Amino acid sequence: MAIAKAERLMNLALCLLGTRRPLSKRELRESIEAYLEAGSDDSFNRMFERDKDDLRELGLVIETVENLDGEVGYLARRDSNRLPPITLDAEEAAALGLAAKVWQQARLAGAASGALQKLRAAGLPEDVDPYEAHGALEPRIPVHEAAFEPLMLACRDRRPVVFDYRKATAARPEPRHVEPWALECWRGHWYLAGWDRDRGAERVFRLSRITGKVRSRSGRFTVEVPDVVTVRETVASWAGETADRSALIRLRTGAGYPLRAKATSVRELGDGWDELEIPYGHGLDAWLVEFGPDVVVLEPAELRADVVDRLRAVAKG
Amino acid sequence: MWWTGCVPWPRAEGERSETVAGKPVRPVNAIDQTRRMLSLVTYLRERPGARVEDVARAFGISEDELVSDLDVLPMCGTSFRGGDLLDIDTDGERIWWRNPAALGAETAEPLRIAADEATALLVAARAVSTLPGLRESDRQALLRATAKVEAASGEAAGASSRLSVTFESEGGVFADVDRAISERRRLWIRYYSPARDEVTEREIDPIRLVSVGHTYVEAWCRRSEARRTFRLDRVAEIKILDEPSAPPEIELRDLSEGLVQPAAEDPEVVVEVGPGGRWVAEYYPHDSADELADGGLRITLRTPDPASLRRLALRLGRDGRIVSPAELADSARQAAREALAAYDGVEVQGAHPVSGGQ
Repeated sequence: MAIAKAERLMNLALCLLGTRRPLSKRELRESIEAYLEAGSDDSFNRMFERDKDDLRELGLVIETVENLDGEVGYLARRDSNRLPPITLDAEEAAALGLAAKVWQQARLAGAASGALQKLRAAGLPEDVDPYEAHGALEPRIPVHEAAFEPLMLACRDRRPVVFDYRKATAARPEPRHVEPWALECWRGHWYLAGWDRDRGAERVFRLSRITGKVRSRSGRFTVEVPDVVTVRETVASWAGETADRSALIRLRTGAGYPLRAKATSVRELGDGWDELEIPYGHGLDAWLVEFGPDVVVLEPAELRADVVDRLRAVAKG
Repeated sequence: MWWTGCVPWPRAEGERSETVAGKPVRPVNAIDQTRRMLSLVTYLRERPGARVEDVARAFGISEDELVSDLDVLPMCGTSFRGGDLLDIDTDGERIWWRNPAALGAETAEPLRIAADEATALLVAARAVSTLPGLRESDRQALLRATAKVEAASGEAAGASSRLSVTFESEGGVFADVDRAISERRRLWIRYYSPARDEVTEREIDPIRLVSVGHTYVEAWCRRSEARRTFRLDRVAEIKILDEPSAPPEIELRDLSEGLVQPAAEDPEVVVEVGPGGRWVAEYYPHDSADELADGGLRITLRTPDPASLRRLALRLGRDGRIVSPAELADSARQAAREALAAYDGVEVQGAHPVSGGQ
C-alpha cells in the first residue's frame, strides 16, 4: 500500500528540522521509507520537489546549501523556524478561537486552525470555550466564488492574471487582464481591486461575475500597488448609495417601511397618504417601482418619467 | 439603496425548519494534517498521558481525526532505520509518548506562523473586531491578541493586508439581541417583510446570531410557532421583555451552504430576463439558469410564496418577465396599471405636471 502523503511530509519535516548540517537528497532518500519506495530517480525527484513546496506552504523555512564538493543539501534551521515568544491570556485565547472559526473557505479555514494549533502548542490557554465566552455570536465569512482562491494566491504572490468577466448588464463575458491588488468582502460578496491592463486604469470586479478559470500570466506587475485600495467606496457608488439629490414621493399610509426609514421628512396628507422626501441616487427608480401602486413620484420630473416608463413596460407585460 | 430594495435571500423570513445532520465532513488534506501533527508533537511532549478528549478539543478536531493522526505519528521520525521513530500510542483514552528523546529538544519547539496562516487568522480577527455587537471586553481582548499575533508573525503578517472583510449589522438591535440571548429573555420586535411590504409585530425567543454578509437572528417565533430567521437591518423596533425565553430544543442547522435553501415541495417560478436582468441569478438561489439567444437567462427557482416575487417582476421592468405561474405575471401587470392610474390622477389635478406623461 502506498504510504500516505501526510506521513511522507511529516518525515521530511522532522528530518529537516532535526539536522544541524545540510542533508543531501541521497541522505533524505535513505532515511524516508516513502522515498525509497518511490521507484525511479525521476519520480523521487518530482515527489521531493513537490514535498518541499508543500512544507514551505505550511510555513517551514527550508534552506538550500551547497557544500565544497558541489553537493546540494537541505535543512530547516531552528532559529528561522521557531515561533517568537508569545503569551496570550485566557480571554485573548478565546477571542482568537472565535476568529479562527469564521472562514467558510477550506484553505483559509485550514490555515486559521493551523495558526491556532501552533499557538496551542506554544501554550495558548485552553480552559475557555470560545462559544461560551462570546455568547450567541456566530460570524461567518462566506466564500462561494470559485475565483477566490486563485485570486487570493495571485494577490499574495503579485502575479498578473487573466479571466473572463461578464459585466452586470453584458450578455457575453470578455477576457480581462488584471494585476490583482486586494480582495474585499462587503455585504457577503467578494470584490477584487486591481490594475486593468487593457483599460489602463484601476478597476473593481465582482467575483461572482468571473466566468471560467482564473489563469496566471508570466511576468511582473507593471504598476505599483497603492498603499490603500478603496474597494468599498467604488462598490457603494455602483449601489447608488452616494445620493446627491432628493426626491419627493407620495406613499400609502402603512406601506414602504424602508422608504420611511430613509426619509428626511414625512408629512401626513390624510386620505391614506403621506408625503416623503427621500435621497435620490442611482437606482432609485427601480426600487420605487417595486412598491407598485403604493408609491407616486412627485418630483423631480426626470424620476417621475423613469418610474412611469418602467411601469408601462410591466403593464404591457 | 439598490441593495435595500433588493432581496438577496427571498426566504430569510419564511424559512422552514430543516436540519442537516452532523458536521460537514472535512476532506483529509495532507498539508493541514502535517501542520497539525507538527504542533501535536510539541504539545504532547509537554503533556505525558494527555487525554484524547482534551487534546481533540484543544486542536479543534474530532477524536476520530486525532486518532488518525496518532496512527500516522508512529511511522514518523528522523529515520525509519535507526529506531528513531516516534513511539506514540494511545489506549483510546490517554496518549503516551514513550521516547520523547527521539526528537532533539529543539525539534519539538513551536513553529513560526506561515504567511497564509497569519492572513487567515488576522483577517478574521480584524473582521470580528468590527462587529458592532461584540462586547467591549471581548473586542479589547481580540485587539490585544491581534497585535500579539501580528508581532509574533513578523513578515508573514504583511500579506494579510491584501484581504479584508466587513460585517454588516445594526449596532443597537444587535446589542439587544445579544443581551436577550445571554440573559435568556424573550424579545418583542416590529419586523419588516419585503415580500409583503408590511411591518408586523411578533414575540420571538432568540437562539443565536449569525453573520453571513448581513447579520441575522435565528429564533423561535411565538406567532408562527416555528423557527424563523430575521435579518437585523429589517428590525424596525425591538424591546427586551421580562418573560424568559423558552425556545424548544431544536437542532442547529449547518449554514455553510447558505442561509436559505428552498425546499423541494415549494412551487416553481420561471422568469426570463434580458442581459440587464442577469443579476437575478446572482441574488436568488435557483434550480437552473439557461442562456437565451439574446444574452438573457431563463431562470427556474422555487419559493414557498410566489406572490412575494411580485416586487421582482415590477423591479425588472423591460429587463424581464415572469413566465409562470400566470397569476403572478397577471398580478404584476395589474399592479403596474393601478400605479399608472395614480399618475393620471395627479396629472389631472395639475399640481405636478408629468414630463413624458400619457
